[in-house]
Amino acid sequence: MTPDATRRRAIGQILLLAAGFFVLVSITTASILLVNRARDDNARVVHTVEVENLINTLLLDIRRAESAARGYLLTGGAEFLSDHEAAVSTILPSVGNLAKATSDNPRQVDNIGKLRAAVETRLDQFKREMEFVRQNQPEAAKALVREAAAGNTAGTVRQLAAAMSAEEANLFRLRTASADRSQWLAGIVTAAGSGLVIALAGISIFLVRRSSRARDAAEGLLRDSNLNLESTVDERTADLREANEEIQRFAYIVSHDLRSPLVNIMGFTSELEELRGDIFRRIATLARAETEAPTTPDNATNTAEPTLEGADKQLSQDFSEALGFIKSSIAKMDRLITAILNLTREGRREFQPVRIDTRELIEAIVSTVAHQAAEAEASIHIEPLPDIVSDRLAMEQIFSNLIDNALKYLKPGVPGDIRVRARTKLGFAIFEVADNGRGIDPKDHQRIFDLFRRAGTQDKPGQGIGLAHVRALVRRLGGTMSVSSELDRGSTFTITLPIRWAATNRNRES
Amino acid sequence: MSNPVTIIMIEDDEGHARLIERNIRRSGVNNEIVPFTNGTDAVKYLFGSDGSGLVHKGNALLILLDLNLPDMTGIDILRRVKENTHLKCAPVVVLTTTDDSQEIKRCYELGANVYITKPVNYESFANAIRQLGLFFSVIQVPPAAI
Repeated sequence: MTPDATRRRAIGQILLLAAGFFVLVSITTASILLVNRARDDNARVVHTVEVENLINTLLLDIRRAESAARGYLLTGGAEFLSDHEAAVSTILPSVGNLAKATSDNPRQVDNIGKLRAAVETRLDQFKREMEFVRQNQPEAAKALVREAAAGNTAGTVRQLAAAMSAEEANLFRLRTASADRSQWLAGIVTAAGSGLVIALAGISIFLVRRSSRARDAAEGLLRDSNLNLESTVDERTADLREANEEIQRFAYIVSHDLRSPLVNIMGFTSELEELRGDIFRRIATLARAETEAPTTPDNATNTAEPTLEGADKQLSQDFSEALGFIKSSIAKMDRLITAILNLTREGRREFQPVRIDTRELIEAIVSTVAHQAAEAEASIHIEPLPDIVSDRLAMEQIFSNLIDNALKYLKPGVPGDIRVRARTKLGFAIFEVADNGRGIDPKDHQRIFDLFRRAGTQDKPGQGIGLAHVRALVRRLGGTMSVSSELDRGSTFTITLPIRWAATNRNRES
Repeated sequence: MSNPVTIIMIEDDEGHARLIERNIRRSGVNNEIVPFTNGTDAVKYLFGSDGSGLVHKGNALLILLDLNLPDMTGIDILRRVKENTHLKCAPVVVLTTTDDSQEIKRCYELGANVYITKPVNYESFANAIRQLGLFFSVIQVPPAAI
């Protein structure tokens, strides 16, 4: 699984969650809105019904007042009068209630205005009728009743009430329809939202299951590769160890087998040298016999080396020169092969980590080179050194090589000052061997660590092995090595070694 | 009784063989030198066709042995010689290029009488061989008539 795909999937899941959340919020909001609307619609429907009720109550009261008035007229009973008055007293408040209830509808307001006028007219008539009755003028009252019945006051009131009722009925229908629609809408929204949420949840579950499957697979792979890693590391280590041993063996065999022909070359060169003596002695004898020169004083003894002359002498010298070159080359080659042999032997030695009193070790080295130091007028200072756990012999070789070098390459005429110091850092001991000698050109800093390579004036004997050997040892001890130096400014070799070196894999050969 | 000592030289490098022979002769030793350039022939000669070494019963032998042979190592020959009842009295001089201390130790443990490193410096090589020659001339090979 690529990181890109993983990120994409994570973003997808977040988007999905966000969408689900959004849908839920929308549904909730819409539901609340729609429920509110439905409640409003219902309230309006109820309101319409109430208005109709009010209208009917009003009409009923008017009728009651009318019939009570008629009863009073007919019988003059006080109970009819009180009934009439009770009815009349409720009429105006009823109209007021009705006006208040329908104040939102301009058409009804208009109707109410007319209704109120008609009702007031009728009430006025009632008042007058009652007045006549009280003044004992029943005829006038009856005439008024007749007039009122003949006039359209009551009819107007009825008509207006009917119109208002119709209006309210109309409103009732409309409002009922609206309320139904709101409810229906709420239902639709809820259903659709729920469906959407369920769908989103389904997708989420699918995605989660897919990603958990992927995670399980990755976990399995990880477990496998963890198991494999161990064996892979072991395998590689074994390979490396084998390769290293192979190289050691190879170097050993090569240097061994190279020596063998060298023995022959040297041996027969020496034979040639003997032959050369014989040949030139004969040449000299022949030459002398030819020239018959008795002037040579030393021909009294045959064994003496005959003198050669002219071209013969030249020939003999050339011969010697050639042999000389051959012999010196052989000697050099022998030294190199011996060096390789020693290095490989050193490489095959097993290192033993032991506790080393570093100061004591270096003091011992210094005492062995005391004579050289005195000759070179050099002083060696050992500063406080930390004790470390390492291979004793390797440490001895490292420091004796470095101190030897420091003594060997001092500046002529300047008293040597060699310092060995150390500090510790993060489990490593950093040793420095500093001198005030001739120094090393920075361009040669790498070269001096190479086998058989040397730098600077070649006025001291050496094979160019010491530093290569030291570096190989330092590496085997799990450390590093570097040099800082400039020509004529002295050199400082820095060696970083683990304070507690435990024999590494390389050393624990099976 | 007065069987002259035969020198068996097992050396695969003909140049080395020649140099050794020359230097032995130069030091005045004129014993017969039987050269072998490989281990198989040498073993056949030393132990005979039946491998018992009976053929050399009573013969005075001196073995010059190189350790690096093309077909076997000189160490094997050394071991077999020293394990053989008829040959174990024959002095063995190991002459090889190695100066590896472990190998030297091993040779002595197996019963080598002298171990000489072939030095590349010819002077010392010649010296070593000549001294060996002197050693040959004074050596008294015990009469193998046991």
